[in-house]
Amino acid sequence: MIAVRGFTYTYPAATAPSLQDIDLDVPAGQFLAVIGANGAGKSTLCYSLSGFVPDFYKGTVVGTIHVGERNLVQTPLADLAGEIGLVFANPFNQITGARFTVREELAFGLENLGIPREEMLPRIEEVLRLTGLEELAERSPYALSGGQQQRLAIASVMVMQPKLLVLDEPTSQLDPVGTREVFETLDALTKTGTTVVLAEHKLEWIAVHADRIILLDGGRIVHDGHPHDVLADPSLPTYGLAPTRYTQAARLAVTQGCVPADRPLPVTLDEAVKFFSP
Amino acid sequence: MKRSFNTLTLALIPVAIAINIAIGQIIVLLKIPIYLDSIGTVLVGMLAGPLAGLITGALTNLIWGLSGLNPTYTPFFYVAAVIGLLAGIFTRIGWARRIWMWALGGLITGVVAAILSAPTSAIVFGGVTGAGTDLIVAALRASGAGIMQATFGQGIVSDPLDKLATFLVVFLIVLALPLRLRVRFPNAEHLPK
Amino acid sequence: MANAFSLYAPRPSSLHRLHPLTMLAVVGFCLVAGLALPGPWGPYLVFLFVILPLAAWGQVLPNLLSSALKIALPFAISVFLIQGLFWTGGTPIAHLGPLSLKSEGLLFAAQSTGRILAVIGAFLLLSLTVRPDTLMIALDQRGAPKALTYIVLATIQIAPRFQAKANTILDAQRARGLETEGGVGRRVRALLPLVVPLVLGSIIDIEERAMSLEARAFSREGKKTSLLVLPDSAAQKAARAALLIGMAAAVAAGIWLRRAS
Repeated sequence: MIAVRGFTYTYPAATAPSLQDIDLDVPAGQFLAVIGANGAGKSTLCYSLSGFVPDFYKGTVVGTIHVGERNLVQTPLADLAGEIGLVFANPFNQITGARFTVREELAFGLENLGIPREEMLPRIEEVLRLTGLEELAERSPYALSGGQQQRLAIASVMVMQPKLLVLDEPTSQLDPVGTREVFETLDALTKTGTTVVLAEHKLEWIAVHADRIILLDGGRIVHDGHPHDVLADPSLPTYGLAPTRYTQAARLAVTQGCVPADRPLPVTLDEAVKFFSP
Repeated sequence: MKRSFNTLTLALIPVAIAINIAIGQIIVLLKIPIYLDSIGTVLVGMLAGPLAGLITGALTNLIWGLSGLNPTYTPFFYVAAVIGLLAGIFTRIGWARRIWMWALGGLITGVVAAILSAPTSAIVFGGVTGAGTDLIVAALRASGAGIMQATFGQGIVSDPLDKLATFLVVFLIVLALPLRLRVRFPNAEHLPK
Repeated sequence: MANAFSLYAPRPSSLHRLHPLTMLAVVGFCLVAGLALPGPWGPYLVFLFVILPLAAWGQVLPNLLSSALKIALPFAISVFLIQGLFWTGGTPIAHLGPLSLKSEGLLFAAQSTGRILAVIGAFLLLSLTVRPDTLMIALDQRGAPKALTYIVLATIQIAPRFQAKANTILDAQRARGLETEGGVGRRVRALLPLVVPLVLGSIIDIEERAMSLEARAFSREGKKTSLLVLPDSAAQKAARAALLIGMAAAVAAGIWLRRAS
C-alpha cells in the first residue's frame, strides 16, 4: 500500500534534512505507529505520507513515496482530494468553522468532492456510527469536548473513504478519556481495512493497539518491528524515549531477582500481568 | 477565485477578520480614542496581496455590522476594502521593505480613508460620529465649514494617525513571524527582512 | 449555532422561511428607498411602514425596535445639536444662550435620524431573520465563490472564540500588573502586550487550518454539491423581481419629488 524509497526532505530555509533516506513498506490494513523524540521527524513523515510535503510546505525532496499507485512527490494536494486523510493534534483548528452542525461539518468534504446528496447521507450516518457520534449529529462542532472534537476530525476525513489515514499526535491535547475514545475509534477503523499511520508519544497506548512500530531518530528509521521488540529494546532511552511503566517495573524486578531473567519483558498491562504471575 | 488564493491565504482571512473585531472591541472597552480596527486587514494585504486585503476589509465591516456588534460599520465596508487594497499595493511596490516608506503608506491610507468615509458619513449619518470626535465636527461647523467638509475635517484628524499606528503594528508582527511561515505567503519577496 | 457572531433569532414565522435572496431584495429595497426618498418624511415612511411591519411579521419587532433606537440615539443627539446649532446661514427659530437653533439644521437632523433608522433598521431586519449559512449557500448557488462562503461562515464562528481569547490575554496581563486604567498613554501602552501575542498565536494556527481545508479536498477543481437544500418558489422569484423594479422606482420617485419641490 505504501512504498517509500530513499526519501530525503529538507524544509525551506533549513540547514539539514528533516528526513533522511527513508525506506518503508506498509501493507494495506496495517496499524503502524511512529515514535521518536521531539524533532526526530515524526510530523514530517506524517506530512510526507499525506502529500503535504512537498506541495504544501515547499522545500527540497529526494526519492519517492508511493501510496497505492500515486507518487505523492509528484502529485499536487488538490489532486489527492480526500484519498489520504490527515488528522493532527489541535482539535479546534480542524473544525472548518464553515458549518453549524456536526452532520453538516461531515458533509463538507463530500460537498467538495462533488458527491451527490443521496450518497452523502448514508456515508455520514455510517461514519457517525463508526466514531460513536450519532447523538451529537445536530450539535455545533464547537459544543463538543476535546475527545469528541478529535473524533469529529477523524470522522470528517474518514467520511471521504480514504485508503490511508495518517494521524500526527492526535491525543496530545486530550485528557485520558479523550485519548481512550480516539484509540477505540482507530481500532474500529482498522477493522474496516483502512491503513493507519499514527505518530504518538503515548507508548502504553500504542503498545496495545499498533501492529508495528518504527522508531525515528534524526530523520532516520532506527528500529522497525513488532511493538514488543521495539518497546522492550534496552536501547530505547538512548533515543530520548522512556519505556512503558510495565517494562520499567519488569526490568527492575529482573535486576532484583524477583522474576527469572529469561522471561520476555512486557510492554502492555496484559503482558505485565502474565510476567508478574508465578 | 480559489486558484488565485492559496489555501493558506484563505485560512488567514477569517482569522484576520476576527482579529480586527477582537482588537476593535477591546479598544472600545479600554476607551482609547483610536479605531485600530484594521490590523488584520493590513496584515492580509501585506502578506497576501491587494485582492485578499480588499476582501478582508469589506467582509470585516459587513460581518461586524450584520452580526449586530456594531451596525454602524456596515455602510463603510468600501473604506475598509480600500485600506486592505492599499496595504497590498504598497507591499507589492516594495514599500514594505523600509519602515519609513511603510509608515508613509500608512499615512496616505489614512488620508484616503478620511476622504472615502466623508460622503457616507454625511449622507447616512448626518455628518456626525455620535462620539467624542464630534467636538471636532462641531468646531468646524461653527466656523462655517459645510457638512461634508466638517466630517472630512474630523476624519483627517483621526484617520491618518490611526492607520499609521496600524501599519506600524503590522510591520512589527510580520517581523516576528517565523521565516518558514513567511516564505509561503504570496507576497513573500516583498516583506521586510 | 453555538455562540456565533450572528443576531439571527429563530422564529416560527413564514418570513423566516423565505428564501434568503428574497430577504436580501427586501432589505436592498429598504436601503435604496430610505436613502432616495426625500426627507425628512421619506426615510420615516420606510422605517415605519415597511421595516417595522416586516419585523412584526417576523416576530422580531421588539428586538429590532430596541436595537435600532439604541444605536440611533447617540447619532440623533449629536446631529440635532451640531447641525441644529451650527447650520451655516440658517433661519434661527430658538435661542440657547449665545447660540441659536436653525430650522434648516433641525430639518436636516430629522432627515438624518430617519436615514439612520432606515439603514440600520434594514440591516437589523436582515440579521435577525436570515440564517447566515443559508444566505451564503444561496449566494453560492447563484455563482458566488466557495471561498466567500467559507470566509464568512468561518469568521462568524471563530470570532467569538477570538474575543474570548483576547479577553483572557487581557486578564492575564492585568494579573501581571498591566495598567489598563488611567491616562490615554497608559491605556495605549497596554495594547501592545495584548495585540502581539493574540496575533502571533493565531497566525501559527493558520497553517493547521489551511492543512485541514486541504485534507477536506477544499482546493479540488470541479463541481461541488451541497447537503442543505433551500426551498424557493415562483412567487418569491416574482417578488424579488418586483423589489428590484421597486428600487428603481424609489430612486426615480426621489429624483422627481425633489425636482418638484
